[in-house]
Amino acid sequence: MVHLSDREISAEIIEACRLGDRDAFRALYDAYKDRVYSISLYFFHGDPAAASDVSQQVFLKLMTRIGQFRGDAGFSTWLYRLVVNACMDAARRSKPDVTLSEEFSKPGSPEEDYARAQMANSVRAAVSALPPRFRIAVLLRYFEDLSYEQMAEALDCSMGTVASRLSRGHKILAERLQGLMGAKK
Amino acid sequence: MLRLGIVACAAAALVLAEGFTFNVGGPVASQDYQAKGARFVFRTQGCAEPAKPQVSGTAEGLVKGARQSVALKVLALTKPGVYAVYQNWPAEGQWVVNLKGTCADASAGALVPIGPKGFIRESSKFFPRAATSAEIETSLKGLAEGEKK
Amino acid sequence: MFTSHISGQLAAYIDGGLAPRKARQAELHMEQCASCRVECDQVRFGIAVLENLPLVEAPDGVWASIEVAFEESRPRQTPVVGQWRVVFAVSVVLALVVVAYWVAARPAGMRWEVVRLEGSPTVGAKPIRGAGQVGSGDWIETDGRSSATVKVGEIGSVEVEPNTRVRVVAMRPSEHRFALLRGEIRAKISAPPRLFFVDTASGTAVDLGCEYALNTDEDGFGMLRVTKGWVSFQFKGLESLIPAGASCRTRPRAGPGIPYFDDAPENLKQALERLAFEKAGNEALDIILDEARVRDTLTLWHLLSRVEAEDRGRVYDRMAALTPVPARVSREQALRLDHETLERWKEELAWTW
Repeated sequence: MVHLSDREISAEIIEACRLGDRDAFRALYDAYKDRVYSISLYFFHGDPAAASDVSQQVFLKLMTRIGQFRGDAGFSTWLYRLVVNACMDAARRSKPDVTLSEEFSKPGSPEEDYARAQMANSVRAAVSALPPRFRIAVLLRYFEDLSYEQMAEALDCSMGTVASRLSRGHKILAERLQGLMGAKK
Repeated sequence: MLRLGIVACAAAALVLAEGFTFNVGGPVASQDYQAKGARFVFRTQGCAEPAKPQVSGTAEGLVKGARQSVALKVLALTKPGVYAVYQNWPAEGQWVVNLKGTCADASAGALVPIGPKGFIRESSKFFPRAATSAEIETSLKGLAEGEKK
Repeated sequence: MFTSHISGQLAAYIDGGLAPRKARQAELHMEQCASCRVECDQVRFGIAVLENLPLVEAPDGVWASIEVAFEESRPRQTPVVGQWRVVFAVSVVLALVVVAYWVAARPAGMRWEVVRLEGSPTVGAKPIRGAGQVGSGDWIETDGRSSATVKVGEIGSVEVEPNTRVRVVAMRPSEHRFALLRGEIRAKISAPPRLFFVDTASGTAVDLGCEYALNTDEDGFGMLRVTKGWVSFQFKGLESLIPAGASCRTRPRAGPGIPYFDDAPENLKQALERLAFEKAGNEALDIILDEARVRDTLTLWHLLSRVEAEDRGRVYDRMAALTPVPARVSREQALRLDHETLERWKEELAWTW
């Protein structure tokens, strides 16, 4: 069994995946699965079916295209390019009007976690309401520790556009979640 | 000795000239939609760092002549130093929220009577220390007598 | 030095993604530009709230379906025909699993549930017996003896009172919108602000986290009464903020009136009506200023921008007499209706409302 630290993807692991080593591929999957799934889940308004679908697509593509990957530098960027493409393609194909998954709207937190659950629900709703280009940029930045250069590659745009989408996306979140906008001190 | 003096000065510096107090208002005062369902909101004033005060409280009640005390359900809102109080005490009886706060060496207290439409601003009392038991009982009695009229 | 605003750079500045020289330029700009400082705080806040999104573990089913495909992609010694049969069978199973999973979990489509409370309400001219569904563009109508409740997506509900005609205009995650032609609705919304809207002939009620009742007649004359939270009512740049315990009249082509607390003195309310809609002038303003209590600074704050310039000073002076003016609110800026000044003052006044 191959064990990986959180971010280590060595050339050896990738080479092993290319040769069809199941354990190496499982290790790769384990290193990234939760982040890929989480980005997809919050991108698709909490829909676990859509998130599972996209996650599966991403790793299957990874599996079939790993031979094309040129080296261990930039692997995350390459992987998240697949995630961005899968999310945006699915968003273009899906109906424009989507309600939040019931998964997120269920009450059911214990009384003591009431406030926390309310806040989390609100943040999820606010993220869901972002335009797709801002939503994917915000989620990518939050769940992955990519530089702006890497994000630009994953999002297939310039670094200036990355900065602009993140600025506008976070500002919209703040507007939605701060209630009335008063003058800042 | 010098170090003690510096620490004392630093602690004193946390408390501003106007003193450390509570201020209460309706949910709209917070400008935070999370406070929509709150009974009222409160903030601390006069602490140099708004996020630093330690606040706590209880709901003190008189239900069919028997005294009750319930730990308060408070949510820290987005703006530092602003909190929302949600009702987690029984609907029947008379109730007063007892707030306590400290900022470095300074203390503050407040008694906020609860009415049918939220809190009773005119009867709210503020202290430079925690409210005493006698003050709490007086406030509850005042509420009970007010209801009888 | 950034002489124009740096909105698009703020995230990069906060994340340390700007080159040192540009970061320094951004800092210098923000020392001079309050608007960019405010936006910077907003972006920081927007980044911070994401801490409420936990990492979610991918379900085991994802790996299971990948593993099957992985096994199938590996080289095998099996005869070619047998191999293709297995691939086909596995593909069919995989496809069925994915379809079943997707069908079970996909959203139900853009319809909201409508439940009959009394009588015979109609949706799209068809009466509903127990429960029905409403889609975008549908009318919901009640007669004198009927009422219904609409579940508005995942954010709350709207009760449709008797003698009401209301239409669903938009059903999107970022916009849940009704148009109220006549009658009354009561909204209970639990969502971030500015996701729920109700259009009327006299303007739009924008939910900011609240419960309220809004009624209007077919000519657009109406009343908005808030019971929890607060609502913004907007019409062509004119905006009234109505908190819990307060109401606001609305009129066609005039938009929202000036909000007042329901327990305000009757004289004040009547004078306000005359001032807001009949342009009554000095006599009405005298009464309002005389009768105003501390919490009626809600009314006076809105009045500042609605009275003639020569009367603003009187409104300001009355507000200053009722409650201390914050240190950073100058009389001069307030009388010039400086937006930031008025917002700052409103933030403090709200603690007395």
